[in-house]
Amino acid sequence: MLDFRPVLQIVGWLLVGLAAAMLIPAAVDLSAGSPEWAVFALSAGLTLFVGLALEAGMRSDWRRLSVRQTYLATALGWVVPCAFAALPFAFGRPQLAATDALFEAICGLTTTNATVLTGLDHLPPGLLLWRGLLQWLGGAGTLAMAVALLPALKIGGMQMFRIELLMGGDKAAPRAARLGTTLAATYAGLTLTVGLSLWLVGMPGFDALVHAMATVSTGGFSTWDASIGHFNKARIDLVVTLGMVASGLPFLVLAQAAQGNVRALWRDAQARWYFAILAAASLVMTLWLMLGQHYGFPTALRHGAFTVVSAITGTGFSTLDYGSWSGLPTALLLFTALLGGCAGSTSGGIKIFRLQLLLAGALVQMRRLLRPHAVVIARFNRRQIPKEALEAVMGYVFVYALAFAALAMGLGLLGLDFVTSVSGAVGALTNFGPGLGPVIGPAGSFGALSDPAKWLLATGMLFGRLEMFPLLVLFIPGFWKQ
Amino acid sequence: MLDVRPVLFINGFALLILAAAMGVPAAVDLAAGGIDWPAFLASAAIAAFVGGALMFSAKPNARFRLDVRQSLLVTVTTWLLVALAAAPPFALSSLHLSPTDSMFEAMSGLTTTGATIIVGLDQTPHGILLWRALLNWLGGAGFIVMAAAILPALRIGGMQIFRMEAGDKADRVRPRLSRLAVSLVAVYVALSALSAVAFWLAGMDGFDAICHAMAALSTGGFSTSDASLAHWGGGVQWVAVASMLVAAAPMPLLVAPWRRGHPSVGEDSQLRAYLTLLVAVAGVLGIWRWATSDWELFDCLRAAAFAVTSTATTTGFVAADIGPWGGFAHVALFILAFTGGCSGSAAGGVKIFRWQVLTQLAKVHVKRLLHPHGVFLINFNGNTLSEPVVEAVLSFVVLYMVTFAIHALALTAAGCDLVTALSGSAAALGNVGRGLGGIIGSTGSWEPLSNAAKWIVTIEMLVGRLELFTVFILFTPSYWRE
Repeated sequence: MLDFRPVLQIVGWLLVGLAAAMLIPAAVDLSAGSPEWAVFALSAGLTLFVGLALEAGMRSDWRRLSVRQTYLATALGWVVPCAFAALPFAFGRPQLAATDALFEAICGLTTTNATVLTGLDHLPPGLLLWRGLLQWLGGAGTLAMAVALLPALKIGGMQMFRIELLMGGDKAAPRAARLGTTLAATYAGLTLTVGLSLWLVGMPGFDALVHAMATVSTGGFSTWDASIGHFNKARIDLVVTLGMVASGLPFLVLAQAAQGNVRALWRDAQARWYFAILAAASLVMTLWLMLGQHYGFPTALRHGAFTVVSAITGTGFSTLDYGSWSGLPTALLLFTALLGGCAGSTSGGIKIFRLQLLLAGALVQMRRLLRPHAVVIARFNRRQIPKEALEAVMGYVFVYALAFAALAMGLGLLGLDFVTSVSGAVGALTNFGPGLGPVIGPAGSFGALSDPAKWLLATGMLFGRLEMFPLLVLFIPGFWKQ
Repeated sequence: MLDVRPVLFINGFALLILAAAMGVPAAVDLAAGGIDWPAFLASAAIAAFVGGALMFSAKPNARFRLDVRQSLLVTVTTWLLVALAAAPPFALSSLHLSPTDSMFEAMSGLTTTGATIIVGLDQTPHGILLWRALLNWLGGAGFIVMAAAILPALRIGGMQIFRMEAGDKADRVRPRLSRLAVSLVAVYVALSALSAVAFWLAGMDGFDAICHAMAALSTGGFSTSDASLAHWGGGVQWVAVASMLVAAAPMPLLVAPWRRGHPSVGEDSQLRAYLTLLVAVAGVLGIWRWATSDWELFDCLRAAAFAVTSTATTTGFVAADIGPWGGFAHVALFILAFTGGCSGSAAGGVKIFRWQVLTQLAKVHVKRLLHPHGVFLINFNGNTLSEPVVEAVLSFVVLYMVTFAIHALALTAAGCDLVTALSGSAAALGNVGRGLGGIIGSTGSWEPLSNAAKWIVTIEMLVGRLELFTVFILFTPSYWRE
């Protein structure tokens, strides 16, 4: 029998943390004189109560989690906080129904920019801050998972990024602590840098804070219905673009760069491809904007780069309404969103290193066809790719494709058209957010969808954020046996 | 240095066969009092001259053997040259197609894609119609022989699992291989005849029955009417469904079933997966159509069975306009274009056995997550698959998806809208021949596409038919290195 106590204890801690986070918007609302603060105080109280109850009631040896307990803790650690994070949306001014409130909370924590709220411009500041905060917390969770958990669990080929914590014996704990500090410092430092820069180039302080949190977590929630397009300033677009680019990089490499080792960015194979793909896609988009929409070069570059970066990192900010476009730019956005940023970042999607691994494997395969007896080895970042990693990546991509097919067909069954279904499925799985077409494009809203469609999309977001397998294994009978 | 003489010799031989085949439509046209027979005779003369010259000038030693590189080169050049030689009748005949369109039509025919740019098929002379069907049929036969004799020996995309047992002893392989090829072609001819009779009994006239039988058994999908199979009644459509189903089943299973030790048809896992998938999707689609329209249930089931079979077997016949069916039908058919038929048939696409291997791979990945030190094997049809096979399958699917994405992007750059580009790229790569949307959907044709788009599709059809690796490998430096 699986021992649930350590798992629930961890969930309890997360809830306590969430409750503490709720106090921030409460304080903001209180100082702004908005009566909404009571909502946050109430939600915080409720969350704190359940969290403390779980923590106290389930006290156990949480240090020795088995593999199955780790999976369960990962899954519940995302799903349960989503439920509590929804409380302010249900109790507060928007008075969202249960489905909508949960949808909004899941979007927030999975850093997906698919909102059911319209009229953001008139919402109280507390709620806007709460949305930004959710994304920021979700981004932090994603980062912790991508650097520590997924490589250790060997999910989808992430063992390529395994840091030998377990090998060091008694040195393991200090190294883990140092790694944690580095990550937290990088994440917080980047947020601060983006926020300050936004403020310096003319964004109001509150907006700068929320947008910084939404940028660095690649979440994309804005404080305005028109997203970043509301400000319509080239300097703001530039800062957000750079912030998104940085957030799509592997954070450990980014930390090295921040410490002065800028060459690390170029030495990392994944970052190199990331920059190359970004440059190529931005160029194509810029050209299209110049030739197809008759923008001048600087404006085309500004919007083209912004849109492409927003898609590949899965952020979902927009300055243009590309929902009404067709042809080249839409296909480009669809494919770049699907590809995603680098592993070890807060971005979504399949991740670039998986494509690199798979292509390296395919190239080796071709050489082997020509010379059946030669020894050819696939490499990534100057390291040999173990065959298990390659198979794990393929297993991952296959499950990703299946999830996409199931999600798109499900949305189609609920009556959505082809473009909405396909782009909605991509948007949810990659934690990008907006789709194409008039319904869920950047100018539309997910509020118009039916409740089952929202549930489908929310499930897709969770699966995408958790890299499929931590949730998927729970549905395997073998997981619960013995 | 690569010895190209045997390659050219075989090319010449293939051209002679094509020239002989042109005699058939010429005779039909002459008998019907048409004006196109000189076009066929002229084209045949050119093909025969070039073919004869190649055979005569590049005559190798009496017994020659092809090595790996020669086999790859001969495969690609033969398909390319034959498609080139098959195009002139379209340009020289009363249709006066442009060179681009002629090449498109010929390539579409030979690769058994069935994407047509001819509008007004009902008024097109019989000679041309027969030539199109004949191209489908010859292409299908060529692919079946290639899939049985060449691809397994080259170990393309995991096809080596279909290599015949005791295939290591080189001196015994050749006679057995050629015997297998002859018996496969015999089965193919017999099934085509059977299908033609069935079409005729169901109410088609003789000429249409023969053309459609050839297009169905090759999973090509050229029709003699603009409305495709919607021109005929329900009986004919059921015959078409049955013909397509058989056409995409593993052909070697049907060779001499009375012989002792013959593998049981019911136990073939690929066949079972294929039939299960088709019945399941057709059932869901039919019931969904029935629930969302005012059609009779039986009509819905027939139309759904037809659409699903036509797409999954990569044939591309049409019995009903799918346009108004809504999102689910479109998404489902889009995804089915990737599954493809069984290997060992003329069908294109990724092929069912590769999806089976991938499913097993994903299962192994999940099991390994829960039991990191377990040993798990991948089985197919009761045999454990070796490492190289799994890797070959994996690389094939990766390249397939990347090729699909690149061509879809290229199509949007050539002016196609998103739906046309996505579905068109899938339809060309899988040799399906029907896309979605208003242009290349069930009631459309590929004629309105720009010339650039037509060339992209022409190349993609060839790449898909030759199972990607065969073509791509010619572009790797290591192929040309000594």
